[in-house]
Amino acid sequence: MKRAVLIALAVVVAAAGALVVLWPRAVEAQPQLAESAQLRFVLTPASTKSGSNTFDLRITDRAGNPVPGGDVTVEPAMPRMGHAIAPITARQLEPGHYQAADVGLFMAGQWEITVSLSAERVVIPLLLT
Amino acid sequence: MKRSGVILLLALGAILGIAAPAAADGVMSGGDVHVAQSLGDRDLTVIIRRVAEVPGPVHVDVVTHAGSPPGEVTLTARAAGAPTSTAKVVLGATPGFYSGVVQVDRPGPWELAVDEATIPFVVPAVVASPWEKTTYGGFIAAGLLLFVALGFAVFGRPGLALVPTAGMVAAIAVGVTAALLSPSIPPVAAPGTQLDPTYDNVMNPYERTSTADFSRPPVNLVPSLKGQDLVLSLTDGSSGRPVDDLLVHDSAFIHLVVVSPAGNLRHLHPVRTAPGEYRARLRDPEQGTHAIAAEIARRGGGVQLLRSRVDVSGTAAATPHDGKAELTEEIREAGRPSTITARFGERDLQPWLGMLGHMIVVGPVTGAAADAPIWAHVHSMIPPTPGLPDQPDESVAAYGPDVPFTYSFPLPGKYLVWIQVERDYSVVTVPAVVEVPAAKGVAEK
Repeated sequence: MKRAVLIALAVVVAAAGALVVLWPRAVEAQPQLAESAQLRFVLTPASTKSGSNTFDLRITDRAGNPVPGGDVTVEPAMPRMGHAIAPITARQLEPGHYQAADVGLFMAGQWEITVSLSAERVVIPLLLT
Repeated sequence: MKRSGVILLLALGAILGIAAPAAADGVMSGGDVHVAQSLGDRDLTVIIRRVAEVPGPVHVDVVTHAGSPPGEVTLTARAAGAPTSTAKVVLGATPGFYSGVVQVDRPGPWELAVDEATIPFVVPAVVASPWEKTTYGGFIAAGLLLFVALGFAVFGRPGLALVPTAGMVAAIAVGVTAALLSPSIPPVAAPGTQLDPTYDNVMNPYERTSTADFSRPPVNLVPSLKGQDLVLSLTDGSSGRPVDDLLVHDSAFIHLVVVSPAGNLRHLHPVRTAPGEYRARLRDPEQGTHAIAAEIARRGGGVQLLRSRVDVSGTAAATPHDGKAELTEEIREAGRPSTITARFGERDLQPWLGMLGHMIVVGPVTGAAADAPIWAHVHSMIPPTPGLPDQPDESVAAYGPDVPFTYSFPLPGKYLVWIQVERDYSVVTVPAVVEVPAAKGVAEK
């Protein structure tokens, strides 16, 4: 009886260990920070998979105050393939908070996302799987 | 009695599990090689299909394009010390696929000759990796040890059975560790793309080298004319020796763009005729200085652009390009991405050189194209389409009609632009002129 309990316990421990090791983890999309001379850009992609993507952008000055208004452009490019796609103008949700929807990042790999607000530009690397 | 039944079942399961075929596919499973060849008066694409078994046949497709004269080409496969295999392919008058089969009898570096053009290629060997061998070895050893333990238990020596049981646990640990760690082992340098291929390194690709940086020196390009043929001599920029390690990139050894004095463009793919020597025919050339630019990739990585000029004593009058497309241009100031979208009526474009479209940009022009500071080759990639292959060949005529390009013109001024796509096995060239405004006063960076 005791032995059966021990075996059952061992099986449970082994199964739990296997689950912890082998459980497929989704890669969380992390916010990416970049700074230009005056501004601070934080880009959070909706997904880290290739395909249609949405970028959430927060643009503040170096002190952390939201920057009002302006034309925010997102320019995705894939340096290894030598390929760029058409720039996208981001929509302002609230001052300092922008969204670029429907960004067609059709291929997995290393992308370079150039974000610009008037003359301030930053390049944010983004790795897609 | 019940327990030994269970053990027997487990043992049988283990044996059956091992008996499943160990499908070892090495790192070099290989793929089709597509090479565009401007061979004499013909524009061909030679497709060397993946070699399934060695010794065995190599299927070669020769794709002809509009304007290719019918006739016969000879395919020859040769390698040092191997019997030469020859096949004749009769090319018809209609553009399309014509096939031939040659034989290879060993893995390693081979050369396919199409008349005088030679294409080096590698026939891969199927080699199991060390970690595959460790994984399978571990599980096989575990299975055998299980049988030994079973034998001891059945013949009444349960004490002795502990020894093979411990061995079995160790063998399983080895196999599982190798299997779990193998995805994180970095790939070895591939013969053919990073290393010069030899029979030995194709047969044993898992021999590690101490080299970490495989890139090679830049190349000097010297063009000359021999009759109607433009002959390119490529020499190493550091040693002066002929450069004979070009990789197939974007489906050609060399992408040669020739711009005539009148502003007409030719996109040729010279054939290799000797080590470091490539040729392409200039049909009906114009008189004057032609600007030429060659894109190459050497073994070890990196693409280079080689620009030069060549004086041609032609007689033909300039024939303008007759390609038509509806162009939508959104030109931004210099340094910002501009987009040009060409619309080609029907949705029946074919991939050309693995791409939906090519855009050649030369400028800003004030005089001759050869003096323009910027020379660019922009691609429009094939969008991943459900239901269609990832890397389709030219037989898939299902793309377009919109062909978008994005390019940041680095300098303000007047640029000559040519957009090229393929339809009905014929390359359509649409010329355009683009004016790029200067960047606005604000300091950028």
